Amino acid sequence: MISSREHRCITCGDVASTLQVVAVDEARGLALCRDEGDHRETVEIALVRPVVAGDRLLVHAGTALSHAPSSSPGEAPRATVNRDRPAREGARG
Amino acid sequence: MMRFVDEFRDPELGRALAGEILERVDPGRRYKLMEVCGGHTHSIYKYGIDDVLPENVELVHGPGCPVCVIPMGRVDDGIAIARNEEVIFTCFGDMMRVPGSEQSFADAKAEGADIRMVYSPLDALRIATSNPDRTVVFFAIGFETTAPSTALTLQRAKAERVENFLCVCNHVTIVPPLRALLESPDLRLDGFIGPGHVSTVVGARPFEFIPARYGKPLVTCGFEPLDVLQGIRMILAQIEEGRCEVENQYSRVVPYDGNPAALAVMAEVFELRPHFEWRGLGFISQSALKLSDAYADFDAEQRYETPGVRVADPKACQCGEVLKGVIKPWECKVFGTACTPEHAIGTCMVSPEGACAAYYNYGRYRREREVV
Repeated sequence: MISSREHRCITCGDVASTLQVVAVDEARGLALCRDEGDHRETVEIALVRPVVAGDRLLVHAGTALSHAPSSSPGEAPRATVNRDRPAREGARG
Repeated sequence: MMRFVDEFRDPELGRALAGEILERVDPGRRYKLMEVCGGHTHSIYKYGIDDVLPENVELVHGPGCPVCVIPMGRVDDGIAIARNEEVIFTCFGDMMRVPGSEQSFADAKAEGADIRMVYSPLDALRIATSNPDRTVVFFAIGFETTAPSTALTLQRAKAERVENFLCVCNHVTIVPPLRALLESPDLRLDGFIGPGHVSTVVGARPFEFIPARYGKPLVTCGFEPLDVLQGIRMILAQIEEGRCEVENQYSRVVPYDGNPAALAVMAEVFELRPHFEWRGLGFISQSALKLSDAYADFDAEQRYETPGVRVADPKACQCGEVLKGVIKPWECKVFGTACTPEHAIGTCMVSPEGACAAYYNYGRYRREREVV
């Protein structure tokens, strides 16, 4: 996932930032979120409810698109280079 | 929070994946893979992924940067609206320097138009509520990742009865240009690195027609270097094993059927345009969105007159061929000379996600790659 501090094109559909929820305004469907540099912004959460403080969200153009996984370091990529486990996790077709 | 990023940038794992890719390829053939998204193009050149691939695996850059595919006529239309005295015109920063036929939004702003950069449609709506005596127009652009954000903001504007907020809708959809590319006779591809965050919204299922009808594998991918390398390995594994299907490398955020709430709000607020012009690709049927009848009151194109004229690209510019993957950015006649990020002729050099800007910014001028 992309750090929100990196210089990227916001318009591009494939740029999103992982932010952590600080507080939720349920009535307005908004959440105050922060990035790793403690930059704070208000985010639409209508697409990912329920949301609670501490959740990590994938945010694009002010809207949370999904919950971000809380993977432990190394977990996902290590599986990809394990020759005993074919790299088809999540595969559907 | 960076620990969630670092795990996908591990050099040792990257080298291991590169080794596995090398084992997958047949040295007697060439492989041409297209990354659909500008975000992938950016990652590939930022992290030097191209350099660790075998010489016979070529990456070509697709039309997945919405700034790069916006035709000059739409910029002219936006400027015509922005010049109205009562209008506060808002857009993402990436759009400010995109050239129209005579001016960019930045040029129009310098001449006095009230054009402001926003980070989200919600920011534009806030400007509207803070300036009830002005009309705030949001220039909406982007693929299905950005469209839900615009749709939610319009829903909010309607619910809160904000009457001075309008939208110029330039949202586009990803499947029609892919279909157009696949029908193009001058393009030979072996597989696709599929969009990541677009797929968070639409899912991986809409891409099933690519293996089914065109016989090309597609793997939806994340944007970290290990994501992209793993995606390439998964495509090459399909080819080696004689499989051809949609796979989802980015399963940590991409549900196979997408986000139903996002699809529902888009269905309420938008409807398909009969056709829309894409820079370099021409008019593509049902490839873009306009506001639905229920949201017609928010449609700036119905409120203001616009030129609505198709403007031909500059003759020297070869963005169209770059967007179709027919030529590499450095093969364009004006790349790095007349066309640079500071003085861009083509949109591919304006957007940081554009293939030309990615090549230029990360110093990828070499005509030959090192053989791994």
